[in-house]
Amino acid sequence: MRHELSFDRLNQLSAGVYLMMGLLALRFVDLQVIRHSYYAKAAERNRTQTIIQTAPRGRVFDRTGNLLATNRPAFSLVFLPSLTKNQTYLSRLAKDMAPYLKKTDEELLRELQVAFETGSPVRLAENLPPKTMFNLAELRTLYPGVDLVVEARRYYPYGSLASHLIGYLGSIDSKTWLRLRDRGEYRKDSRIGKAGLEKLFERELRGRDGGILLEVDAHGKLQGILQQMDWKPGMDIALTIDSKLQRAAEEALRASHSRTGAVVVLDPQTGAILAMASVPDFDPNLFMIPQDEEVSARLKSLPEFNLAAQGTFPPGSIFKIVVAAAGFNEQKIFSAEKFFCPGYFQLGPRTFLCWDKKGHKLLDFLPGFAHSCDVYFYQFGLKTGADLIEQYERKFHLGMLTMGSNRKEDERFSLPGEKKGLISGPGERARRKAHGGDWYQGDTVNLSIGQGELLVTPIQMASLISTVANGGSIWKPQFVEKVISQDGHDIYQRKPELSGTVNLKPETWDLLHQALIQVVQDGTARSGHVSGIKIGGKTGTAQNPHGEDHAWFVAYAGLPGKPPSLALSVLVEHGGHGATAAVPIAKKIIEVALKPNDRPPEGSLPKEVPPKNGEQE
Amino acid sequence: MIFGYGGLGRAEQRRRHIDWFLIGAVAGLLVLGTLAIFSAAVPLPYHAQIIHRHFLGIGLGVIVFLIGMWLPYQIYDEQWKILYAISVALLIGVLISGEMLRGTRGWFKLPFFSFQPSEVARVCMILCLSAFLNRRAHKIKTLGAIVYAIGLVLPVLFLILKEPDLSSTLVLFPAITAVLFCAGAHGLYLGFLLGCGLLSFLLTVAWTFFSIRTDWLESSALIRFFMELSHLNVTLVITCVGIVVFFFVAWWVCARLGIPIPAVYFVALATIILVGLMAGNIMESQIKGYQRSRLVTFLDPAVDPRGAGYNLLQARIAIGSGGVTGKGIFSGTQSQLGFVPERHTDFILAVVGEEMGLLGTLAVLGLYLLLLGRIFNAARVAQDRFGYLVACGIGAMFACYLFINAGMSVGIVPVAGVPLPFVSYGGSNLVMSLWSVGIVESIHSRRYTIA
Repeated sequence: MRHELSFDRLNQLSAGVYLMMGLLALRFVDLQVIRHSYYAKAAERNRTQTIIQTAPRGRVFDRTGNLLATNRPAFSLVFLPSLTKNQTYLSRLAKDMAPYLKKTDEELLRELQVAFETGSPVRLAENLPPKTMFNLAELRTLYPGVDLVVEARRYYPYGSLASHLIGYLGSIDSKTWLRLRDRGEYRKDSRIGKAGLEKLFERELRGRDGGILLEVDAHGKLQGILQQMDWKPGMDIALTIDSKLQRAAEEALRASHSRTGAVVVLDPQTGAILAMASVPDFDPNLFMIPQDEEVSARLKSLPEFNLAAQGTFPPGSIFKIVVAAAGFNEQKIFSAEKFFCPGYFQLGPRTFLCWDKKGHKLLDFLPGFAHSCDVYFYQFGLKTGADLIEQYERKFHLGMLTMGSNRKEDERFSLPGEKKGLISGPGERARRKAHGGDWYQGDTVNLSIGQGELLVTPIQMASLISTVANGGSIWKPQFVEKVISQDGHDIYQRKPELSGTVNLKPETWDLLHQALIQVVQDGTARSGHVSGIKIGGKTGTAQNPHGEDHAWFVAYAGLPGKPPSLALSVLVEHGGHGATAAVPIAKKIIEVALKPNDRPPEGSLPKEVPPKNGEQE
Repeated sequence: MIFGYGGLGRAEQRRRHIDWFLIGAVAGLLVLGTLAIFSAAVPLPYHAQIIHRHFLGIGLGVIVFLIGMWLPYQIYDEQWKILYAISVALLIGVLISGEMLRGTRGWFKLPFFSFQPSEVARVCMILCLSAFLNRRAHKIKTLGAIVYAIGLVLPVLFLILKEPDLSSTLVLFPAITAVLFCAGAHGLYLGFLLGCGLLSFLLTVAWTFFSIRTDWLESSALIRFFMELSHLNVTLVITCVGIVVFFFVAWWVCARLGIPIPAVYFVALATIILVGLMAGNIMESQIKGYQRSRLVTFLDPAVDPRGAGYNLLQARIAIGSGGVTGKGIFSGTQSQLGFVPERHTDFILAVVGEEMGLLGTLAVLGLYLLLLGRIFNAARVAQDRFGYLVACGIGAMFACYLFINAGMSVGIVPVAGVPLPFVSYGGSNLVMSLWSVGIVESIHSRRYTIA
């Protein structure tokens, strides 16, 4: 030895050092091989951020190709959080941006913090007006992580037009999201159809969202676009609705006495719904506006109730159509048979009034129907019998869903929430055991003029008059003409569907038609007469113990010498007399539909119109 | 003594005895490090300056290395007092007129580069301590040797801590202990020394740990008392007196009962606790904010996952995401997009790990294995005790750098701020590390010659 030292200590030291190095090597293997995939994902999450771009939803057309629902490009402000940003950065950003976004500093800061904590991008504002966008574009250069993206936003060009039918979009609720998130098409901030067509055809209308995969640095600054995932628009839907009629109906209802009511216009030859209006209605565009207090308040009192299918009312005198059909078809009575109307009718101790207290004197069926003489029909009903009347109620599918379907896949083609109404008659009463289950003569008297327990919806009445108009075919009302996939295929094409037939003797139909036309020519609906157009109809005034009466009018119309092309029902809630409140509305609609001269020249394309609807130029 | 290669001149002999493996290991690390620094510097705004200075550092380092290799190492043994004086003077000088950088007054600003005296001091301290112990080889087993050795190093350690440069202390303290260990110091005294060091470190950790557990602080009087000890106050003084009294009484009782425990154990234990408390106090007061927060997140990562723990986590993500073959130089997303902080200095291994993968990290470990192996080999073949001690100390120092730096990068060591010699960017560290290797070469090449 050159120096009197053993190397024990050095050996121990170096052994310790080598051991530690071995441990380090194992740790590297652990990180880089065993747990590599975990860290690789973490690194990928760090450097990429995805901005989802909402795909355009399928468009909705009316029967002439007018766009009822479409999409518009809109700019959204997104914030890409990054780990290096601190509280001061966030609060400065919030303070600078808040004035442009109509939010308070605190609100904005809270949103920024959520994004910061969860590490996922957040939309700070949607649908920015151009001026705001310009201002924000400047801010964007000062604050890395703030960016503008373009998206497709739902837009309803005609606002509230057919809003009850089209429905609206809303933010997905947490329950629905939990159910749908596995399909991978929805995000927590997705919008989803909440009502009407938007809800029924959510699956078809919804496109596949696209997105941009961005590379960002540690400060959230955009480095480049890694991948652009194109969106796929949803399927288009063509409706049977004619927006001209729809608009005429809505405007007329809005101008009515009570500004509340419903109109249903059917094609009596196919069951296509040409218009379905319910007022009050709403503007579905409201749901696409970032919610401020004013908008939220308006949404809360949203008139979502679709009177046309969900409102049930006593039919009043329009029920006399059914009573007359029963009495004549079963030959319980002859049209020339006369009754005397002194203005009231005495049944035992009870007195039933005619609507006209002066009385109609002695009259047979045609004037009795045209002037809607109640006393005539009291006696007509008693002679026909309540059992028969009830039988005819069922024949005409009252008390049934007009759009009901047995097949599950067809459910989407019917309106949700449609009401059945109520049948009235001895059989029904016995079944329900109402009023002890007994039926009295007085009940028959009431039933004869459509009062009592009977309840119907406007769409049922439209279906009724349509059945009368075409001579017995109960077509199922339909509102979807076509579903067109993005590559142009028709996924669905409407086929008229017969839900039942009313078999009456031809004489009975003739008599009914004669009577209905008489109503418009010199009866209660005289004011609804349009020269050059054959119109048959019946007014009704449903007595309402809680307020003003409901005004009814049902009618069919067509060009002379041609089968009727229009069947409609008008209801004005609390409108008073059918003749004064409901008839003018129907007249306007009929004029728009069948008087080409009165219509403003329009460039709308005549498209997919069934030939029987021969009102086109 | 043996004379090899009889016919050759001395210079020729030495050249033949140069340890090319050692040089190869250093060169390999420098190549890897330069690549990593290049890559890490690309996105930085001042990358040209970094690369420029890195090559300046290599150039200077090579010169210093050659000087270290050429100079007979025994010269440090002879002139150790001058080395010591230079170290202390530099450290005092930097405290007076040094540049403030990242909270540390540890830099002299020179025309071309900044220069860190604590880097010079750490090499000098190993040389001085080796020279000192070389002279007291016969008394090495005594307590005196240790006490004097500590007395020698303590002022320098104190000056370095004063800057404050905790990381240099962290490397120097184990290296000094290693020199004493290899010198053959008594195990008990070494245990004493390590005990003091460990205790002061553990106390700092414990104080930090309890300070984030405020609920415990409120519920336990014992913990409140413990926290009181973390800074100089009456409680601390009373406790110190109490400890002395306790051990004295314990010794007295033992002696009375006839239990044969030498008094030295009581004295040692008491001193360990006292010195540990004092040193812990100094550490506690000198620890920097970022070091404290790293300590906190290491103890409890849930405290602030986005704050201080971020650095450690991002470095680990970078390394782990590299996989076996890495993402390719200049293509590491973690490093290039700025997720790894201090990536060209303290976290250079994260860049290596991400861009060169397991192959890169194992290459660094392998080259270090070669480096340390050759240094320890130089210690074995050194012709004298001084050379042996110096090589041991330098080897231990490099090992400490590796463990602390790599351990921090992979998340098994809490404290940071320690570079990885030859791989990290940093001129002073590079030059002084190359000097140390030059000294080892000098020891190696002169293994057969008599000074």
